Amino acid sequence: MATVIIDGKEIDVKAGTTIMEAAKLLDIYIPHFCYHPKLPIAGNCRMCLVEVEKMPKPVISCAMPVNDGMVVKTDSEMVRTARKGVMEFLLINHPLDCPVCDQGGECSLQDLAMKYGPDRSRFHDHKRHVPNYDLGPIIETEMNRCIHCTRCIRFSEDVSGVEQMGAVYRGDHMQVGPFVESRLDSELTGNLAELCPVGALNFKPFHFQARGWELKHADGICSHCSVGCHTRMDHLDGRILRVMSRSWNEGNETWLCDKGRFALDGLANERLTAPMVRASQGGELKKVSWPEALDQAAKILKSVKPEEVAGLASDAVQGGEELFAFQDLMRNVLGSGHIDHRLRQRDFSADELPLTRADLLMNTPLASLNGADAIVLVGFDPRFETPILNIRLRRATQAGARVVSVGARKLNTNLLNVTEVVVAPGGEVARLNAALQALDHDEACAEDPVAALLKGAKKPVLLLGEGANVHPEAEALRRVSVALLDKVGGIGPNWNGYNRVAARANAAAAQDLGVVPHRGAGYTRLERMGMNASQILEAAASGQVKVLFLLGVDPLDEALDRDLARRALSKARVIYLGAFYGSAAQKAEVVLAGLAPGERPMTLTNGEGRVQRSARAVNGPLEAKEDWRILRALSDRFAAPLGYNDLEALRKKMAASDHRYDLSRLGPGESAMACDHSPVTRGLPVTVSAAAESGAAMQLLMVSSFYRDDPVAARSKVMGQLARDGRLRIHPDDASGLAIVQDGLVRVLSGERKIEVRADLDRRVPHGVVIGDLGRGENATRELGDYSNGYPRVSLVALPG
Amino acid sequence: MKIVYQNIHLANSHTLAVYEANGGYQAVLKAFELGSDEVIEEVKRSGIRGRGGAGFPAGMKWSFIPKNDPRPKYLTCNADEGEPGTCKDRDIIRYDPHRLIEGMIICGFAVGIQQAYIYIRGEFYRETERLQAAIDEAYAKGYLGDNIFGRKIRFHLAIHRGGGAYVCGEETGLIESLEGKKGQPRLKPPFPANIGLYGCPTVINNVETLASIPSIIERGGAWYGALGVPKSSGTKIFSVSGHVNRPGNYEVELGIPMKTLLEEHAGGVRGGWGNLKGVIPGGSSSPILSAEVCATITMDYDAMAKAGTMLGSGAVIVLDKSVCIVRAVARLSRFYRHESCGQCTPCREGTGWLAQIMTRMEAGHGTLEDIDLLSDICNNISGKTICALGDAAVGPVMGALRAFKEEFIYHVEHGRCMAG
Repeated sequence: MATVIIDGKEIDVKAGTTIMEAAKLLDIYIPHFCYHPKLPIAGNCRMCLVEVEKMPKPVISCAMPVNDGMVVKTDSEMVRTARKGVMEFLLINHPLDCPVCDQGGECSLQDLAMKYGPDRSRFHDHKRHVPNYDLGPIIETEMNRCIHCTRCIRFSEDVSGVEQMGAVYRGDHMQVGPFVESRLDSELTGNLAELCPVGALNFKPFHFQARGWELKHADGICSHCSVGCHTRMDHLDGRILRVMSRSWNEGNETWLCDKGRFALDGLANERLTAPMVRASQGGELKKVSWPEALDQAAKILKSVKPEEVAGLASDAVQGGEELFAFQDLMRNVLGSGHIDHRLRQRDFSADELPLTRADLLMNTPLASLNGADAIVLVGFDPRFETPILNIRLRRATQAGARVVSVGARKLNTNLLNVTEVVVAPGGEVARLNAALQALDHDEACAEDPVAALLKGAKKPVLLLGEGANVHPEAEALRRVSVALLDKVGGIGPNWNGYNRVAARANAAAAQDLGVVPHRGAGYTRLERMGMNASQILEAAASGQVKVLFLLGVDPLDEALDRDLARRALSKARVIYLGAFYGSAAQKAEVVLAGLAPGERPMTLTNGEGRVQRSARAVNGPLEAKEDWRILRALSDRFAAPLGYNDLEALRKKMAASDHRYDLSRLGPGESAMACDHSPVTRGLPVTVSAAAESGAAMQLLMVSSFYRDDPVAARSKVMGQLARDGRLRIHPDDASGLAIVQDGLVRVLSGERKIEVRADLDRRVPHGVVIGDLGRGENATRELGDYSNGYPRVSLVALPG
Repeated sequence: MKIVYQNIHLANSHTLAVYEANGGYQAVLKAFELGSDEVIEEVKRSGIRGRGGAGFPAGMKWSFIPKNDPRPKYLTCNADEGEPGTCKDRDIIRYDPHRLIEGMIICGFAVGIQQAYIYIRGEFYRETERLQAAIDEAYAKGYLGDNIFGRKIRFHLAIHRGGGAYVCGEETGLIESLEGKKGQPRLKPPFPANIGLYGCPTVINNVETLASIPSIIERGGAWYGALGVPKSSGTKIFSVSGHVNRPGNYEVELGIPMKTLLEEHAGGVRGGWGNLKGVIPGGSSSPILSAEVCATITMDYDAMAKAGTMLGSGAVIVLDKSVCIVRAVARLSRFYRHESCGQCTPCREGTGWLAQIMTRMEAGHGTLEDIDLLSDICNNISGKTICALGDAAVGPVMGALRAFKEEFIYHVEHGRCMAG
């Protein structure tokens, strides 16, 4: 401990604390540009100079550790003179273009110039001019404004692990930028602009959209993946123009990924603005009044038996309120137990078991992931599923943790110390089971990368990702993962390293609140299990289910087997409640216009099971309504309507079914608990099925496209620029045997089905495997999806052109 | 009194044979007898201060290296000799490389270092060749390697050539460059003695400092300490350049009057002492002294500091009355602008500003306000930068403004120099 006096105020701090940090604890603001609490210290801007008694020169408070008895003055004559000097230096080469600079009004340089800057310049010589760069669709550059604080460089090197930014040349010719001008190959580029203290790096999508002071702010929770980052939605005139991060030490620190930040332009595309009804089969959808639409929906629902109605819900764009009200309506008003949100899942065998919340969610809080010393990724691409979680893992690897990735493909990763164990698609269970057996034998253990990593690890974590969750033997894979971790003591009261990471933002809420066929809200057991998502689609296609009630979900875009989804939607009568005029709305008989994230208050439960509330920023289209209100109004047309008339009442009902949703118990500023759930179920038997025989044809692996994989992002132009989807990735060696060239057209055949796509040659693809994106549109590789027998086998024909 | 340069007049003085024939590699054996602690004591007793410019006592520097630290330790010899006017280390490397190597072995033994580097100025191509040849000789003879001098002592030595950046002569800039990064000085603390090369404890000494070590060990710290004057002990090589009749490197005892150095050793100021305008006493970054001050000042650390300048690297640049001070300062300012690494604000922006004003003033477009502005800018740079380059850039401007302000005013008012 050290006692230090800053501006006459005394404080005890840990030894090694910097003056800047100590001052922060005392609420003393020390002006700075290059210092950022989450980045390595550079100490180059010299704005944070302070006077320390007995030191002849001013020292920089961001880098100087305190000593016991140190007396610091942050506002003495010496300090003010020094800051004025630094300010003058920073301004001599800075263009005076604040009126046309996006940063104007929220610029550190502008703010501090008000206090320390001269009112007129003494600089009459030549100002520096430097070139601008095209860094891709997110970042706009105006490098004349750069003050060389190197925050962007330090972020790129330290946090995003993409060393594309740097400083070239020396002295006042120094230029910050990419060494070779190109799009930044990172999923975190937006942070560069948010970090930039001046207007050198701006948001391209936000360029010239609004002035900072015109914007209104709403505190949001990001709904684009299961991390649930804290955001600030900046809006003007009913449009969200920009998403900035809110500081949240337990989660996203101060970072956001590019999807979370800039998928928002998707909110404005293909929106449903009013309820619509299709007068006759094959007729056109016509705008109608709300009572008419609801009457029509009720008529359809009443025309069939309760068990002939099934509901599918989106876990990507719907809040907990809608999900809860939806299952309430389905079960208690319509009397159908057929409800699910897991359209991507293939293996539903776990539904028979009473799995706990801990089995289905993360058990290591995000903030603790930094401390892991051994990381096993199973079917998980953290960088392109949950980028902010990936930052945590990267921090762990920077501190020395090692990583083994087990999956059917190599990752484009920025983690350090990674060993990639690539298995044939479907081979993960056998691979992990081998590791489990190897743990018993020292020799085998040393040779097995997974076992060798886990053995002796003090804080091991195992993360199951999308590839594991949609695995044909997902439950076996989950069980063997639990067994593996359990064997090395990784599941205990003090450290629980078992994590099932859902890709979708609100999958946890859908599970908690009973949007599954086998459990009610709050993990209550049901007497009779309904049909799961896969069965619902089959039943709809066969005519057994006659009405499909869709909550915000487009089965054509979502279900793994697109053909099955198409047949289901063609056969069944469809009622669609959602925000977007997508493939499902186009097929629907009744379209109920709901709202999208940012337009309604939402409860989102992240991968850790942390229940969070997102505020409303803007109003949706005029005629669209909050989804749960629509469900409530619809229920009025039945015998036993839903029993809540306002959001408070609905939330109370949610809280009553699951205490974690009772946020009233939290004090102001308190965040809900992470990983607040029962223990992981251990000791379940693991069965390893025989290895899939390898045929002559290539195996098709489908991977969701990070930038396109939810209804909002799919409609975003910015995400469209970032994504490289609709491509078939193949190893160059395999490609050359088939005369397939980069960007060449390929016909992909699987039985009767075929698509035509362009090829991307990629050395990360294993031999004998082709990787397609779970894309949208007619040529989506999902057209080939027939998962009844494991992974689809496809043959490829190169086409001219 | 010649210590470092005692052999350079000999034919083939750079060879191991000549060095050994003249008592070379005896001091290192004596050091082994003394033991490492006693070697450091001897060096402390000698009072030798770093010859690279900062003048920090070398023995103290060595004793700062943490003992019983599990990390490897490194020795780095700073042979970047980039300070304009300085050329003393070059002659040590050219004519007596083994003296440097022996000094480094002694340092390595004393501090417990097994790997050493010589960071040599990139322009020193032939010097590198000769130094490498000497290192090869020493390896062949078993003076460097895993078991040096047949003992269980390991000491390896490698040369790294710089890329020609002045700032890489700054010790932490040098370390960054040696690690393969862009040569930008680091924040201090931590100091290299604790976190230096590759994050390990590191000794960094100048060539001349290390080359003085063999004689200090051989003849004792007390003997060396008795040379020179108190607090500035021993001998120092002065690189006398500019308007003297016999420019060159002169090794003399510290504390010698400047007039003696110039008049007796360097053959006198061109055109006689009366033609002297001023002297830059310790490399281009040291503030200039006027002729009146030069007449009485002695060449030692304290006297220089008292006169508001510094002994620096010992590069004595003599300017006679034909010199336009404004032009000289403008040239130096352009040098510092070019060599500023660009990392921290005051130096990056300030050196460029200074150079632009000085260039403009030299061309006859200066104003009287510019003169005040110059000293304001200097004050805003000085003491506020990461490394000493900012102070170095300020030195010539501040020195000239102090000693020759009337020349600046004349330049502004007449648009040309009073020197003609």
